[in-house]
Order: sequence, then C-alpha cells, then structure tokens
Amino acid sequence: MKIPWVFPIQLAATALLIGVGSLAAPCLAQDASTANAISFADTKEVLGLDGLKQNVTGTLVAENGSLVFTKGKKKVAVPTASITEVMTGEDTERAIGGTVGILTMFAPYGGGRFLSLFRTKIDTLAIEYVDISGGLHGAIFILKKGNAAAAKKALLSQGARTNVPAEVEAESQARPKEKQQ
Amino acid sequence: MKCAHYRSSLLLLAVVFFFVGSVTSAQDNKNPTIHASSIQILMAQSDEVKLPIEFQLALYENLIEQIQKTNKFQYVYRDGDPGASSNTDLVILHSNVYGFKKGSEGKRQVTTFAGATQIKVHCVFTDKTGKSEFAQDVTGNVRFVGGNLRATFDFAKKVAQIIVTNFQ
Repeated sequence: MKIPWVFPIQLAATALLIGVGSLAAPCLAQDASTANAISFADTKEVLGLDGLKQNVTGTLVAENGSLVFTKGKKKVAVPTASITEVMTGEDTERAIGGTVGILTMFAPYGGGRFLSLFRTKIDTLAIEYVDISGGLHGAIFILKKGNAAAAKKALLSQGARTNVPAEVEAESQARPKEKQQ
Repeated sequence: MKCAHYRSSLLLLAVVFFFVGSVTSAQDNKNPTIHASSIQILMAQSDEVKLPIEFQLALYENLIEQIQKTNKFQYVYRDGDPGASSNTDLVILHSNVYGFKKGSEGKRQVTTFAGATQIKVHCVFTDKTGKSEFAQDVTGNVRFVGGNLRATFDFAKKVAQIIVTNFQ
C-alpha cells in the first residue's frame, strides 16, 4: 500500500500552521492591549487639570489605564481607576473664536453679529476624579463632534466608572432630536 | 399752633434717626468678621433644579481657584479630602443651586440682550459641627461675552469677594 504523496505535505503544513499560530498568539494579545489606546487630537481642556491653564488645546489619549492630556511638553495623566464619573454632552461654539472672534464684535454694520451665526457643533466630556489624597476634582474637555462617546467608551473600558452607561446616554441625547423632527 | 409744628418736626427727626439706626445695625449684621485658617469646599448640590454636570464641576473648580486667589486661608481643602477633618480651625462652604437658566451664546452675540445664562446659588459657611456662620444667595451671570460656563466663573468671583469682605 502506497502512501499518497500529498499526505506528508499536509502533515508538514499542519505542523507549520500550529507553530505559526503559537507565535501569533502573543502578537494578537499585544494588538488587543494597544487597540485600547485611542487619541483625540485638537481637544480643548476647559478646566480642571492640575498643572495646566484653562482653555488649552492639546491631545487627549486614553491608554494603559490612564487619561493623558498632552500640550507640547506638558503632560498630565489621570489614572482611569480614579475616575468616578464620565459624562458627555453636546454644544456649539463660534466658528471664529478666541481674540479674533471678540474683535469681530466691533466690526461695522453688525458684521460681528453676522459672523456669530456661523457655529460649529462640539462634544463635551466631563470627568469627576479623585486625587491621591482623596480630594474630588472635576475636568471638562471639548472634543470634535462625535468623539465624546468614543472617548467615554475608551475610558470605561480602561477602568473608569459611571452612573450612566454610554448607550443610555447616547439614547437620551438622540431623543430630543427625534422630537424636533 | 407753633408748638404743634415743633412737635411734628421733632417726630420727623425721631423717625429719621430710627431708620438710620436700623440701617446701620443691619449693615453691622451683614458684615460679621469670621476667622478661619482653612476652608473646605464641597461639591455644589442641586436638589431643586437639574444642573448639567459640566456646570456643577465648573462651579466647584472655579470656586476652589478663586478662593485660593484670595489668600485668606492657609489651606483650601477639596471635597473628600481627609486632611480637613484633622484641622480644627476650619470653615466649610456648602453651595446649593436653586435656580438655573441655560442661555445661548449665539443668541447673546447676535441680539446682545437675549440668551443670558444665570445660575443662583445659596451659599452657607458652616463650622465643623455644621453650625451656620454665614449665609448668602449669590447669582452668577453671563450676559454678553463668553460661553455659558462663564456664569460659574462670575459666581466664583462674587463668592471670593464675599470671603474677602467677611473673613479675617
């Protein structure tokens, strides 16, 4: 009885796949851990982070069990385990903001008022956290439209707590829009 | 006839003195001097009105920042800080929001008279036992320039001013 020539090739291929599979397992685990790191560029820290001024624009990152806000060389990290509440909201702000926005108010013939009509939709992210000594802190961030829910999910997946789950909050924010229609 | 005129003028004078006296005594009551080396600021409560969390947090954070700027206290403790319980010369600030009207920044900038944001807070300063030392209603507004959260900054500035005038 002859052994078909295909059989040894199948055997070798199976052995090779098992070997590659065992090597691939740690890689997948690494991907899963780094996949949780989500960054949100152009995020404005309205207030609440120690060591940073108010209304600073930087990058918000949720990684390795921490919420990290980076502005240039300054970096503030808040452990997600110390975050006791995460809430999102929606708002609008002037398309032309800052000092230029204020100066446009003095434009003749109501030009500044006209420019105020141009507004961009934004998301707000509010967190409540506890410092090492047990003191309560609050921080507010402004993100681009549609990013707050993702930021909340990322923080919750890394150990932050909330009384209002992300899905429930998304539903409650969607309801008024449905009524308007 | 002349005597009656004299009496009525005397009566008028007495009434004037009475009112002046009552006003000055009321002012005296309004400006008690409280002494405390440290203060603990509790998170603002809103039992009567639904206050968005960003306003609640902004009230709290702005209060801490503005009170620290007054330099009236050696220590400014946050809510939940266990260090406050060991401090003997402590005053605690309780804030209860009883009125809130969220305006619109867009309306304010376009019309200049509509869309104001207003936040009304009852502030009570107590000692460690909970005995009220001083209480006052404070209103924070934003009427023209700035976002809605600026009302909390206005409120915090007013509370800081109250502390400057009433605390040693």
